[in-house]
Amino acid sequence: MSVKFSKVFFTYSPKSPFEYEALRDINLDLESGKFIALVGKTGSGKSTLVQHINSLIHPTSGTIDIDGFINSSVKKERTKDIKGLRKHVGLVFQFPEYQLFEETVERDVAFGPKNVGMKEAEAIEKAHWALEKVGLGKSFFERSPFELSGGEKRKVAIAGILAMEPKILVVDEPTAGLDPAAAKDTMSLFKKINEEGTTVILVTHDMDLVASYCDEVVVMENGKVEAQCSPSKLFGRDLSEYSLQNPHIFDFALRLKKRGIDLDMSSIRTTEDLAKAIAKRCKHG
Amino acid sequence: MASLTIGRYVPYNSFIHKMDPRAKLFALIVLMVAIFLPYPTYVMSFTIQGVIFLFGVFLLWRSHVSFFRVLKSLAALWIMVIFILIIYVLVPRTTNYPAFDINGFVIYWDSILEAARILLRLVLMIVLSMVLTSSTKPLDLTAALEWYLYPLKLIGFPSHIVAMIISLALRFIPTILDDVERIMKAQSSRGVDFENGHLGTKIKAIVSLIIPLFVSSFIRSDELANAMECRGYDPNAKRTRYRKLHFRAVDFVETFVVLAIFAGCLTLSIMQLDAYNAIWGITTL
Ligand SMILES: Nc1ncnc2c1ncn2[C@@H]1O[C@H](COP(=O)(O)OP(=O)(O)OP(=O)(O)O)[C@@H](O)[C@H]1O
Ligand SMILES: [Mg+2]
Repeated sequence: MSVKFSKVFFTYSPKSPFEYEALRDINLDLESGKFIALVGKTGSGKSTLVQHINSLIHPTSGTIDIDGFINSSVKKERTKDIKGLRKHVGLVFQFPEYQLFEETVERDVAFGPKNVGMKEAEAIEKAHWALEKVGLGKSFFERSPFELSGGEKRKVAIAGILAMEPKILVVDEPTAGLDPAAAKDTMSLFKKINEEGTTVILVTHDMDLVASYCDEVVVMENGKVEAQCSPSKLFGRDLSEYSLQNPHIFDFALRLKKRGIDLDMSSIRTTEDLAKAIAKRCKHG
Repeated sequence: MASLTIGRYVPYNSFIHKMDPRAKLFALIVLMVAIFLPYPTYVMSFTIQGVIFLFGVFLLWRSHVSFFRVLKSLAALWIMVIFILIIYVLVPRTTNYPAFDINGFVIYWDSILEAARILLRLVLMIVLSMVLTSSTKPLDLTAALEWYLYPLKLIGFPSHIVAMIISLALRFIPTILDDVERIMKAQSSRGVDFENGHLGTKIKAIVSLIIPLFVSSFIRSDELANAMECRGYDPNAKRTRYRKLHFRAVDFVETFVVLAIFAGCLTLSIMQLDAYNAIWGITTL
């Protein structure tokens, strides 16, 4: 079980003056059950790539195998069960607050489950469960989604996807525009969902998030995959060639190394881990 | 999606693109009138429509619009086309040239010809306006419109305000089309199927598109109004323009050609001249 890109190319508006090749020869294997980060600078093709996983756009050439569902440049090869795929893969867009339309928050969240065949009552139940998960309590259920703040709208939109209980959750910059506490809550939520067995693919610019939450990181540059490895392996080296910045803790460790204090960073994910490692080092001289 | 982007401005470097928008707008109006003039016989109007059609195809070719796009936009109007066909073919006519007799219900040749004439007019209108809109920047088009409306200022008509409203509306068409695409993708990933399904689900799908579209358009127009006011926009102030319109030799030539075609058509129409009869002595329908 995995998401497998083979020789995928994608061009926006082919054969017109707006033609733009956004993906070039993507070969990628994203294993099930992992928490995978997709990083790269603005315009490197991350959003374009993740939309292929949901079959929202089809490659110009090449195929993608999503746990058996096929998205391909050839129409005949594509999966017929598109609803099944949409239920299997939940995609939260970069600015998901623009998709809200129902009268109440709970009905908006229940919209997705109903579309993939759940009964009304069951869908509302799922909606309540998902809303609680993202931290929106009972008081929000009956409110209009249009009178919420930007961050709350974002959470409703995330709940709308969670309620469909996808096996693969793709989130495109979910923390942009959230306050630090809400961002941390959202990330912990994704982590928890991941531990319960869902594959999470996170598109982000925030390397600190990558270091603390992800098992694997994919670096994109100019429509190509430049690297796929574990975060500690990536952050051990100079990242300026990808115009990325090392997470703060790795930056700190790198500076320590320059002064002759070499720490083993392979198991370090958070500031606390780093502090512990330094403390241990101090004790042992 | 492609059907929505028909007629969008496409930047090429043809002589049609470089022509003065006033000349192009004038040509469009004059040729449209020529298409709608009454001609004595069907064969005459088909001949004239054929000539204008060839002229239109030449313009399409020169302005890099593929004829395929014309067919596509006609496909988008298929309900109207079918209505026209049904109404014109079924309504009995006065002359006596029956084409088919279905159990006593007679369909006359001139009903069929009349339907063909209307359809050809529709195709010509699409061809000509597509040449204009895909070769002229919306802003240039409004500049031309404002220039034509200028005399109305003398009787107190606020032509500059109208021009501003039109240019804003045109300016936002591509933006709204992008919104449509984005919202459709977001809703598709929540399991909405915009293509298949029975009437009820289809209506729901459209609602899930229209409401977010309205919301984002209102937000956007609000922001735009504020931004314009912040920069001191005064609807009644005299405005200067950055780009001046220039009427050049090619524009004179084009205007002359179009006027010549128009004069010919007008003469034929006013004199109700049946050229086939007058020259070769053939009587036609
Ligand atoms: N609808 C479109 N039509 C044409 N080009 C597009 C379209 N959408 C994106 N692009 C182009 O494709 C490239 C990749 O876009 P994409 O949205 O995948 O980038 P991204 O890596 O997600 O960037 P960001 O970090 O800013 O979200 C960009 O250069 C963009 O200009
Ligand atoms: Mg993006």
